Amino acid sequence: MKSKWNSIVPYILISPYAIIYLVFVLIPLIWVFYLSFTNQNIFSAGEWIGIGNYQKAFSDNAFLLSIRNTSFYWLFTVLPSMIIGLVLAVFMNTKIKLAPVFRAIIYLPAVMSGVAVSMTWIWLYSPIGGPIYSFLQSFGLSSKDLLKDPATALPAVIVVGIWISIGFSMIIYTAGLQGIPNELYEAASIDGATSIRKFFQITIPLLRPITFFIFIMTTIASFQVFDIVYVMTGGGPANRTTTIVNEIVRRGFEDFEMGYAATLAIFLLIIVFVFTLVNYIFTPKENDLN
Amino acid sequence: MLNNRKSKMIAYILLIIASIIMILPFLFIIFTSLKGDTEFVSGQFTFLPKAWQFENYVAAMQTAAWGTYFKNSFIVTFFGVGASIVVSLLAGYTFARMNFKGKNVIFIILLLGLMVPPQAVIIPQFIIMKHIPLFGGNDLFGMGGNGWLNTYYALIIPQVAAPVGVFLSRQFYQYFPKSLDEAAYMDGAGPIRTFISVYLPLSGPVIAAFGILKTVHIWNDFFHPLIYTNTAEMRTVQLGLQAFQGEFGIEFNLLMAATLVVSIPLIIMFFVFQKHFVQSLLSSSVKG
Repeated sequence: MKSKWNSIVPYILISPYAIIYLVFVLIPLIWVFYLSFTNQNIFSAGEWIGIGNYQKAFSDNAFLLSIRNTSFYWLFTVLPSMIIGLVLAVFMNTKIKLAPVFRAIIYLPAVMSGVAVSMTWIWLYSPIGGPIYSFLQSFGLSSKDLLKDPATALPAVIVVGIWISIGFSMIIYTAGLQGIPNELYEAASIDGATSIRKFFQITIPLLRPITFFIFIMTTIASFQVFDIVYVMTGGGPANRTTTIVNEIVRRGFEDFEMGYAATLAIFLLIIVFVFTLVNYIFTPKENDLN
Repeated sequence: MLNNRKSKMIAYILLIIASIIMILPFLFIIFTSLKGDTEFVSGQFTFLPKAWQFENYVAAMQTAAWGTYFKNSFIVTFFGVGASIVVSLLAGYTFARMNFKGKNVIFIILLLGLMVPPQAVIIPQFIIMKHIPLFGGNDLFGMGGNGWLNTYYALIIPQVAAPVGVFLSRQFYQYFPKSLDEAAYMDGAGPIRTFISVYLPLSGPVIAAFGILKTVHIWNDFFHPLIYTNTAEMRTVQLGLQAFQGEFGIEFNLLMAATLVVSIPLIIMFFVFQKHFVQSLLSSSVKG
């Protein structure tokens, strides 16, 4: 009797989590594939239309632009924030006294919400006496609203993206640097290696798994970018800053084309899936970060 | 030695510059929030306020239903974090310490969840939310009403479904010696008693790491409240801030005051638990 009870205990213990996971992750995951082949909207359950939505997506200018914008955002936030994060981590690792203070300050933007970050930068870019606007204007550089000009809106959003993601790279790199034994640097110093040479021949190669990890994590996050775009520009002007998630929200919850929005979600799913899988395959099973 | 001192100097200068660049926007928020209304008329930017109007904070909090927004955010964060911790610890403990049929298959299915961005399943999730039976005017078959939409459930329950907590706690419980369970078994404790009296008291680190991660996540969440709520009474602080900007966007002093107030709880938490923050970031990074 007792052993029978014991054999169902594990299922009871995981069931609260498993049920919620089933209802709000697993079933939606399967369902979104089905939905993507239907023309379901808010008014009707819709019917099977085969690959109709997919064909539509490939000729949907706003969606194609969102892919382009999201890719630009990814490319131009991930690399700069990783490089800046690495450089800052390296300097912080020189055992200077105030390192924790610097680290806290530089990580601070990552604690703020996307909306709060957006508010801050709306003000910074604002033509009503905003600091960046006034700064640029005092050099005669620009008198336009950077977030409303088609040429500058995406770069302006990307700057914000870099500002919020530096902290993450820096923290993870700092942890990685602490794992590199000091003897390696000392040995190199005896051989007469310069700091720069040590950086490129010891630091960079030994940090490779960590670099890879940060790359994957920030990549996945950047393909999901939504809050700052939605709040700062709403995807405009003329779709110049719209992103994949922004299009999902617009199609699904403003136009109420659930089926089509599900199709766009499949694209996001595939992109994130591929990067996660790459991470899973290339990361050693017992992670050596700790 | 000289080389070392020189490089330290460079490090200091560079870090000071970087810190200034990173913190400058915060200074702008603070100083702008204290400016008088007339200081924006000229369109000319000044770094420091001329007037130092601390009453801007009172004015900003009175211009919208911030009491409601904060109440909602506190409720959703508190119960979301609490439920996540309880449910994830139980599941993580089970996967780490017990053997049962189908364990590996179930775990791999959970692993799948790590690859699913929440935005990608929002459409079917929304439909399910709308059709939860016997809630929000729905009948037994989930028809006729709005289900969990525009309720706290919609903001809390899906947050519990994120698999990271299960992975963190499984990883945490995995490294305890087998003798711990055996000793408890000898004392006649079943798996549930063992969990409560042996493992739970040792779980401080994983609760702290996951709790912080989740608190930041739920407090800062904008996406789900945006989709799942549609009345001002259900707004969280993030939605409230966005709505505030829509209505009073030109009054930057009040907007910056509101921005700071919304961010303050996490900023304080960050400075108090700085070490745990870094730890939570690192441990969540080592998932899988």
